Amino acid sequence: MIIPIVYLVLVLVSILLTVQSTHVLYLMLYTWDRRDAERKARAPDTFIPPRLSFSVLLPARHEEDVIQSTIERVVRADYPAELLEVFVICSQDDDGTVKKAEEKIDQLAREGLHNVRVVVFDDGPINKPHGLNTALPQTANKVVTIFDAEDDIHPKIFRLVNTVMVKERVRVVQAGVQLMNYQSNWYSTLNVLEYFFWFKSRLHYHAHHGSIPLGGNTVFFARELLLRLGGWDDRNLTEDADMGLRISAMGERVRVVYDDRYVTKEETPPTLGHFIRQRTRWSQGFMQTLKKGTWKKMPTRKQRWLAFYVLVFPRGQALLGLYLPISLGMILILKVPVLIALCSYLPVLLLVAHFLVQMVGLYEFTDAHGLEASPKAVLRMAIAWFPFQMVLAYAAMRAMRRQLAGRHDWEKTQHVGAHRGSTEEAESRVA
Amino acid sequence: MSHDPLPSRAPSNPPVAAGQNADQSADQSAGQTPDQDRAAPQRPPARRRRRFSVERGWFPPLGNAGKIALAVSLLTGALTHGYHLFRYPLYLTDEGIYMQRAWSLVRETSLSPYTYDYDHAPAGWITLAGWVFPLPQQFETFGNAINTGRFLMLLVHVASVYLLFEITRRLSGSVLAATVAAFFFNVSPIAVYYQRQVLLDNLMMFWLLLSLFALLRRETTIRSVFGGGVALGLALITKENAIFFVPSFIYLLYRRIKGSPSHRFLRTLWPFAAAAPIGAYVTYALLKNELLPSSFDFDLNNPPADHVSLLYTLWWQLNRSQGNLLSHDGLLYTSWLMRDSFMLIAGFAAMLLCLWWGLRDRQRNLGYLIIGTLAFGYTFYLLRGSVVLDFYVTPLIPMFAMCIGMAVDRLLKASFKNRFLRGAHGLVRVGAPSLVAVVLLMSPSSGYLVHTNTEGVVQIADQYQKKLNLTKMQHDQIAWVRKHVPSNARIIMDDDLWGELHDVRPFYPYAHSHWNAASDPDVRDKLFKKRWQNIDYVIMSNKMRKSMATNNADGRENWILKALQHSDRVWSRIQGNIRLEIYRVQ
Repeated sequence: MIIPIVYLVLVLVSILLTVQSTHVLYLMLYTWDRRDAERKARAPDTFIPPRLSFSVLLPARHEEDVIQSTIERVVRADYPAELLEVFVICSQDDDGTVKKAEEKIDQLAREGLHNVRVVVFDDGPINKPHGLNTALPQTANKVVTIFDAEDDIHPKIFRLVNTVMVKERVRVVQAGVQLMNYQSNWYSTLNVLEYFFWFKSRLHYHAHHGSIPLGGNTVFFARELLLRLGGWDDRNLTEDADMGLRISAMGERVRVVYDDRYVTKEETPPTLGHFIRQRTRWSQGFMQTLKKGTWKKMPTRKQRWLAFYVLVFPRGQALLGLYLPISLGMILILKVPVLIALCSYLPVLLLVAHFLVQMVGLYEFTDAHGLEASPKAVLRMAIAWFPFQMVLAYAAMRAMRRQLAGRHDWEKTQHVGAHRGSTEEAESRVA
Repeated sequence: MSHDPLPSRAPSNPPVAAGQNADQSADQSAGQTPDQDRAAPQRPPARRRRRFSVERGWFPPLGNAGKIALAVSLLTGALTHGYHLFRYPLYLTDEGIYMQRAWSLVRETSLSPYTYDYDHAPAGWITLAGWVFPLPQQFETFGNAINTGRFLMLLVHVASVYLLFEITRRLSGSVLAATVAAFFFNVSPIAVYYQRQVLLDNLMMFWLLLSLFALLRRETTIRSVFGGGVALGLALITKENAIFFVPSFIYLLYRRIKGSPSHRFLRTLWPFAAAAPIGAYVTYALLKNELLPSSFDFDLNNPPADHVSLLYTLWWQLNRSQGNLLSHDGLLYTSWLMRDSFMLIAGFAAMLLCLWWGLRDRQRNLGYLIIGTLAFGYTFYLLRGSVVLDFYVTPLIPMFAMCIGMAVDRLLKASFKNRFLRGAHGLVRVGAPSLVAVVLLMSPSSGYLVHTNTEGVVQIADQYQKKLNLTKMQHDQIAWVRKHVPSNARIIMDDDLWGELHDVRPFYPYAHSHWNAASDPDVRDKLFKKRWQNIDYVIMSNKMRKSMATNNADGRENWILKALQHSDRVWSRIQGNIRLEIYRVQ
């Protein structure tokens, strides 16, 4: 009796996995598949004169190494200084970052630039959304945006967003974010490609269907919209995704722009430990957001389903991590009938398809950024591919454990500026 | 929705038109190229003469005339193939084999009731099984197993007409070409004869046309190209000779995705999609430990005895050869040209013309090149000297039909350059092909609609002849068996009757075809023990004696032939050159 049930489970899970993988594959290729989506994703070819004013929030914690260059990049952006104000947000205990930021502010003041301030908060919780909420009331400009301390922003990003917001009459814009250091370590290529497919393709699908988990930076909001929403949820580990779903629930249209020329460049976490912690935080944040139930307030069933689908994914990933070794074991030990074995061939086929798409994605990514993908990089990616999936499953399981144990503290990701070293010269070929 | 557009509350600057902005030129010079025109092969802007390009997907819209032509083509296809479908032609051995295997899938969940030796890839009868399974009376829904299979062939034909029509129209830009192609595909006697039969070739052609159609969408999306790849893979595991069409597909894909932003994904995912079904087939063999012959023994003279093998069968099929197709006793003269010499000769000539036009200007004549090379690829397969059976000509029919359609269209267009004909533009364009069609339909020598019978009388052609009911002879044969032969009798027969005796009560579980009785160890050695005395009846299908002789090169059918020598004919029916018999072994 047990064996037929095991077979049934194997077949059902195989079919389910196949359907899910096919859908994910479709989302990964969404912009390449639809010319209209590809056209919409691109930045405008020409920019209108600066018209909107921007308040830039720069939350930073122990970012002594990179904060000065980040401030420098923002204030030197190709946008009139009088339409820009910058807030470096730190907690009171982070003297190092505050000091470095103030040094930079003094230096800029000597040049006549007075549009940067440090906002310090001394109450808890010490995390990014709380910092953002502290700074939000002090902003005065029409558009509020967030950059992370390690971000390499494109100098024309404000002109781009100014054009999009004015011409397309949108109040929320998510611009592209891209990890760049694809050759730093064994998992960096795959991590880079995750960002590439997420921002270049998948987010456009979510935006099109009005159910979008926003990214943590290079996201632009009309200030009054943020005030109306009451700022960010400071108990949520992925306040950005939560904010996206809240905005979607209001029926607000979100414009996603991913243009290889104007992406904000970032780096992969420097060590596997940091990577796992970052991924754990994201997975747990999605679990929190799922539990919170904002997604249930969305107007249409399709939007609710899409949001649920995204938020539940970490749980699915955790279960998948458990399922894979079990199913392999069952196939080997039980010597399943040929038809059932053929059924379990389907998800394997999809795994191959995913790998091929990632491989092509690597060439697309490097081509777009004036880099070169070597066959060695492809080989390394092939070797790293399965361990990487296992690491993701592990992080998801870890998040689940933390969630069950009621641990909701913020595990910070360290930044060393690897993307700056490697990509400073290799600016986008077309930029 | 509270949408308060941000610009309405933005600072005072009035909107500036893009062209007035001094900044703009600097921005554009930062490497941005306004390439919207190039990026998308959209419908071209309206011009007096519509632009047409296979490469860019600029196909003219179907229009009202096109819709009428398409509807007429579909209706014609349904009529020519549907009318008289269950009566003509005679049920064929191969039709019985495929239905027998579909039966095995539905009833026994295996690919064949006998040892499956990878002689054909299985997607064809998996499709048949998928068709039969949900029907109310399954194999007997349309009377018997082969009829039920033939009804699917009718549906497949009508779907194929649509695909063929659209493919020809898109490759030529002409409704006329599509209509002419559909005419031959629907009405040619050789088409009607083979396309009514339950043949893997018909299913293979459907997948192939679907795959070609997917590459001829207005926009080459990843989904359509991926779907096209899967359809091609299904064609390949329906009948392996689809491989001879693949080079043309690759070239068409190359031309269509050149310059596309998603070309990298397309050129990776298309072969992957095509390989996926083949991978499933290979995995099946691998899981059954039947991929490789034991000890890697590919010796064609001594086939490995312990188990069948996909690769060994493939190797054996590649190495077998037969007499020349073009010799006076080859199939070309004895069968194919007799069924429709006009279509085959015109099709061959049109193929050469299409190849000539296509090769002379590959850029502009992509459609001709594709259709010419598709037909050429399969012609090469038929002529290359391997084993060719009567119905192997089937995939050539749609290819030749498309070649004829495209060549006629082009020749008529060329004729307009003639100043005498230019005035009668529309008349020649519609009139000339219509005249040929009427002549073909009215001429007894063509056999399209009428023919001259053996007594010299002109009458409706066999395929539509109301009085001619060939399959009734086979029904009578079965009726006699049911009335006079006990169900536990050990019977040798041919596969065309297999479904009737195994799926309709009372079952005849010991009725096996001479092919299986001569080769399958279970039947040959366990049931009959290779002794003629163990046979009770021999049911002779048409030309079965000839098949037995052909299959007897190594003496494997001797014991069955001996049974015939020791038997009495107890029933027979003869009509024209068709002869059905039943023998009781003494």
